[in-house]
Amino acid sequence: MHSLRRLIFTLGVLLGGQTLSLPAQELALPLKSGSVRFAAIGDMGTGEPAQYEVAQRMLQFHQMFPFTFVIMLGDNIYGAKSPDQLQKKFDIPYKSLLDGGVQFYAALGNHDDTNERFYKLLNMNGERYYSFKKGNVHFFALDSTYLDPQQFAWLEKELAAAGTDWKICYFHHPLYSSGAFHGSSTELRTVLEPLFLKYGVQVVFAGHEHVYERIKPQKGIYYFTEGASGELRAGNLRKTDLTAAGYDKDRSFLTVEVSGDDLYFQAISRTGVTVDSGVIHRPAAVQVSAP
Amino acid sequence: MLSRIALLVTVLVGAGGIAAGSPPQTPPVAAEPQAFREFTERVRAYLNLRKKLPKERTTKRTEEIADRRLALAQAIRELRTGAKQGDIFTASASEEFLRVIRNTLQKNAVRRTIRQGEPVANLHLTVNGAYPEHLPLTTVPPTLLIRLPQLPERIAYRIVGHDFVLEDTEARLVIDFIPGALP
Repeated sequence: MHSLRRLIFTLGVLLGGQTLSLPAQELALPLKSGSVRFAAIGDMGTGEPAQYEVAQRMLQFHQMFPFTFVIMLGDNIYGAKSPDQLQKKFDIPYKSLLDGGVQFYAALGNHDDTNERFYKLLNMNGERYYSFKKGNVHFFALDSTYLDPQQFAWLEKELAAAGTDWKICYFHHPLYSSGAFHGSSTELRTVLEPLFLKYGVQVVFAGHEHVYERIKPQKGIYYFTEGASGELRAGNLRKTDLTAAGYDKDRSFLTVEVSGDDLYFQAISRTGVTVDSGVIHRPAAVQVSAP
Repeated sequence: MLSRIALLVTVLVGAGGIAAGSPPQTPPVAAEPQAFREFTERVRAYLNLRKKLPKERTTKRTEEIADRRLALAQAIRELRTGAKQGDIFTASASEEFLRVIRNTLQKNAVRRTIRQGEPVANLHLTVNGAYPEHLPLTTVPPTLLIRLPQLPERIAYRIVGHDFVLEDTEARLVIDFIPGALP
């Protein structure tokens, strides 16, 4: 199956004639039947060529790994927010994916206008924070720029109701990061981590630092930063004891497949190089109910 | 809601976080001071005023979002003609806000949150003026938010340089602000 897909993908690239000089990606994801497949991008909304190149790479990868949705980790639209800018920074770069039925689920970053939540293609349904479910995975998109008590109370209620599903939270500011520019958001961590632990959140995605980083499990939770899908701070990753893997040489995006109790991931650079991959196995899920 | 807030406070203290080691200087769930009640009443009055105006809704048309935001901002300006700094953050409310802000900002982790949020500097604010759309939003520390009066969904506290701002998030309009509230 993999070989066939790879062949189809390669032919597609050849026939398309757009990117012959770029190497085809190797697929490190298992493509299991019935799995939940998605991509994660962060700090992408520049409207600059690099964002478009990452988007093009995502499209190519999508032919090999047909992810059905994309989670956006904030800073979706930098700078001006006029309609033409929103098109330039979202609609146009991801047009082929959108046309192909791929859905985008945005979290707000510090460069975003909270009114982005009213744009249907970002699937926020008018909310700053929201949750949705795909297969056996429950996603929680948070607004980490403004974590007010109402949002915290909502999150606890939602996490408690998620039962034994995989619980994946995503938001803009990383709780753990080896990025030199911002580093870990320690105050947010103090607030959110106890809740993540109490209700068994397994994986957290964030952006803000314009690099890719996978953190060694912290108290059993896996943290990823993918903040280089448009912006980049080359050489900004100061690998620390926290770092399991990282990449700061070029833009990147992350792809994820969840099947049963396994979560497979593959981070890919703008030029199609796999910069990280692996699998997370979750221990037997324990249901925690609300207090 | 109060019990949820109490839980968050417990989490903050219990996790060995910001408030660990010493009791919080501003008890977050203490009875609301009179100055905050006055502030909350004025926020409510603002909301009543705004109730008559059309609400945002989801759409596939980006022009519609922008047009509605501009129309909403203009309508609010017209309803609040003559609004000035201090109308909602009254003198006594400002004093209470300053006390809480400065107490909370004594903690390094809280100041760090603001620094990491790419703080905006040198922005001249006016009541009824637009919050510039190209500028980022500085993270408002959750430890601070929990100690301040809760706001309805369409209104948010913002930190802009040294100023503490009340923003209408749908209209992206400055409702009021306390100049120089942050060190």
